[in-house]
Amino acid sequence: MSEATQAIPRSQSPSLRGAPREPARARRRIPDTVGLLAFLAAEIVFFSIRSPYFLNWDNWVNILNAIAITGVLACAGTLLLVAGQFDLSVGSGVAFVGVVLATVAPDQGLAVAVPLAVAAGLGIGLLNGFLVTVVGVNALITTLGTLAIFRGLTLVIGEGQNIIVDDFAWATERPFLDIPVTALAFAALAVVFLLVMRLTVYGRKMYAIGANPVAARLVGIRVNRSLFLAFLLSGLCMAIAGLLATSQLGSTSGTTGSGLELAVVTAVILGGTSLAGGVGTIQGTIVGLLIVGVLSNGLTLLNVESPWQQVATGILLILAVAFDRLRQTVLARRA
Amino acid sequence: MSAAAAPFLSVRDVRKSFGAVEILHGVSLDVAGGSVLALLGENGAGKSTLVRTIAGDHQPDSGEVLVEGRPLGGRDVGAARRRGIRLISQEIADAPPLTVAENVALGDWPARRGLLSPRRLRREAAEALAALGVELDLDAPVSTLRMGERQAVEIARALRGDGRCLIFDEPTAALSDAEAERLFAVIAGLRKRGVAIVYITHRLDEVFRIADAVCVLRDGEVVLREPIAAVDRDAIVRAMVGRELGGRPARPAPPASAAAPAAPAVELVAGSSGEAFAEVDLALRPGEVASLYGKVGAGALEVAEAIFGMRRLDGGELRVGGRAVRFRHPADAIAAGIGCLPGDRQGQAIFRPRSVAQNLAAPSWRALARGGALVTAGREAAVYRHWHDQLGIRSRNDPAQEIWQLSGGNQQKVVLGRWLQRGSRVLVLVEPTRGVDVGARQEIYRAVRELAAAGSAVLIATSDYEDVVHAADSAAVMVRGRIASRLAGDAITVEALTDAAGGVVHV
Repeated sequence: MSEATQAIPRSQSPSLRGAPREPARARRRIPDTVGLLAFLAAEIVFFSIRSPYFLNWDNWVNILNAIAITGVLACAGTLLLVAGQFDLSVGSGVAFVGVVLATVAPDQGLAVAVPLAVAAGLGIGLLNGFLVTVVGVNALITTLGTLAIFRGLTLVIGEGQNIIVDDFAWATERPFLDIPVTALAFAALAVVFLLVMRLTVYGRKMYAIGANPVAARLVGIRVNRSLFLAFLLSGLCMAIAGLLATSQLGSTSGTTGSGLELAVVTAVILGGTSLAGGVGTIQGTIVGLLIVGVLSNGLTLLNVESPWQQVATGILLILAVAFDRLRQTVLARRA
Repeated sequence: MSAAAAPFLSVRDVRKSFGAVEILHGVSLDVAGGSVLALLGENGAGKSTLVRTIAGDHQPDSGEVLVEGRPLGGRDVGAARRRGIRLISQEIADAPPLTVAENVALGDWPARRGLLSPRRLRREAAEALAALGVELDLDAPVSTLRMGERQAVEIARALRGDGRCLIFDEPTAALSDAEAERLFAVIAGLRKRGVAIVYITHRLDEVFRIADAVCVLRDGEVVLREPIAAVDRDAIVRAMVGRELGGRPARPAPPASAAAPAAPAVELVAGSSGEAFAEVDLALRPGEVASLYGKVGAGALEVAEAIFGMRRLDGGELRVGGRAVRFRHPADAIAAGIGCLPGDRQGQAIFRPRSVAQNLAAPSWRALARGGALVTAGREAAVYRHWHDQLGIRSRNDPAQEIWQLSGGNQQKVVLGRWLQRGSRVLVLVEPTRGVDVGARQEIYRAVRELAAAGSAVLIATSDYEDVVHAADSAAVMVRGRIASRLAGDAITVEALTDAAGGVVHV
């Protein structure tokens, strides 16, 4: 191990610009998630002092359950943003999957309804992928469009009603350590995505595409093919999240899942995935999810009203992105 | 044109430094109204710095710029503009979505109390274009025009509001033959109207066609300043290069196989691609370094792109190992054993935020993966360490180090290692020494020679003759999309290359 990588004080002042480059390099080696973990720890300490219930296992299960649906979507969201892409249609997708399930189940039974609902989610992913990679519409525009389309279709099919789905409460069962299936499903999916991004050729390709799409093409990566698959995976995550959400609530409505797309983007960016692409991890996203989840849970325990919780979450997002910009600027200046 | 006329523009002993480096060491020159001064010099001689100083974009450290005998005054582009000086830079700086008329008026819109006058805008644009003898649809978006037409719009803009001294920075670099002819006619017209013209170019044939006088810069000093009648082509080249004319640096002897050339690994037969190049024949043989040399826009880089599957051929044939192939994606070329070092390292080659190991392993991920899908950082690291030692990459030898932290030359070595690891037997090097410092340049040349010695077929596509002179066994010189001449062995000299690229072939 070289001496340069160890024992570097964290607070090297920025005024060292132009000084030997070793300290700068070494400072960059401190994982970006360290700051976020510190932030999370501060939250936990703060809320555990202010509220006696906060550290209870029950409360932690609540937090996990609260972030699970967002978390499922954020897995694919991280993969996409690492490659420089967005999917804003996930909230509408969850509602659409739910309404397909709820309208088909009473007549055809769950055995038909569930596969159809999954197909609905995959279909949205297919459509997004086709528009972005084959037609060449920008991902932001494409998924803004499909966000509106599938929210509208959900309202048309469900006639704006709250539809009860009977005998579909599997996601609320607690098979292990008193943790609901929803949270366990998220945990399992997170592990799968983590391994895909860290260990597979496909994961490597996605990082390369996000870092430099032109160079990716020139090392032989078929960029559009890889991105298409990612949008399809996002569709699969919508299907899973849709089934979980419907089961959790026992019903679905026209407003199910609205705002989820923003919650996903918040968590992913907060977790250190760069908007410029090529940088980001599932672990980071999990930390991002926890920061938002713990904040919201803690504020609820302190009886802070929900509108103020929204204000707090918004401020958090901006702070995180501002921090990312600053990091990029410093990075560019040192090049 | 009369020699007695007082110069419109005078540059007096101008010095300019950036940081500790002095770029211009006291440059003086005169340009009379109604005359064309050709400004020549190698890359880095200080031409651009000089004209930007004249145009008020840089301020001289000492010395002065006089217009009609009076100092420029003011410290910005506006001051020079008001005195009638206009710089038409190498890159066209227009607003593509706006119309021709709007682009002619760009930055100087005819308005009354802040309200735009569309009628005046159109009328003035029409006048400016008519003065150039150019007919264009005033309402067409500039994005729909051809390169030469866009340049005409730039010139029309420059002439608006009393443009009396026009500086052209390599205007024909991006033009077709016909468009260049058009430009010469325009310049002749301007000259007749009494406009003073400074014309930067690399093409000697153009100099003798349009210039009244020549000024050659070398390393920030004027080394030649004569009326055109007093110089010949050789004198200009000698002044530009300033050393060892005709010879070339000592290099390893040509490969032993030179007597009986090996079968080509890659062969391009009568290859054509759109307007980029036509009927290009090229053979890349194992053990040899071939080169394509030409000014930017001459087609050399585009041929390299076609060989690497980045550009489709619409005529002719590409053969790999004797068999005809059609590349639709660089992945096809890579699978056929071809690797490429692109010309724009930052934009086309490296993954800035990723580790050196991943940057090096990228095309080999599948080969390195267990079961074709699972890559491990450990295998990537081992591969990186191997090439780190082989290629002498100067870094911390930490496979996780992000590549942007390496110097340009060492980044280039990582990109080279990428293809060596992939086992590519054919390497296409585009502008391999662009942005690379002098020391690393020599190392790259040596690496290229070693690659060939080890049996690789190498192609260098470049606009820098040093690359050709130092590293290549053979050179095909491209002019405006076609191979104008071929040189081999000791016939590859700076003089021969410069001459051939200028479009005139000496038999």
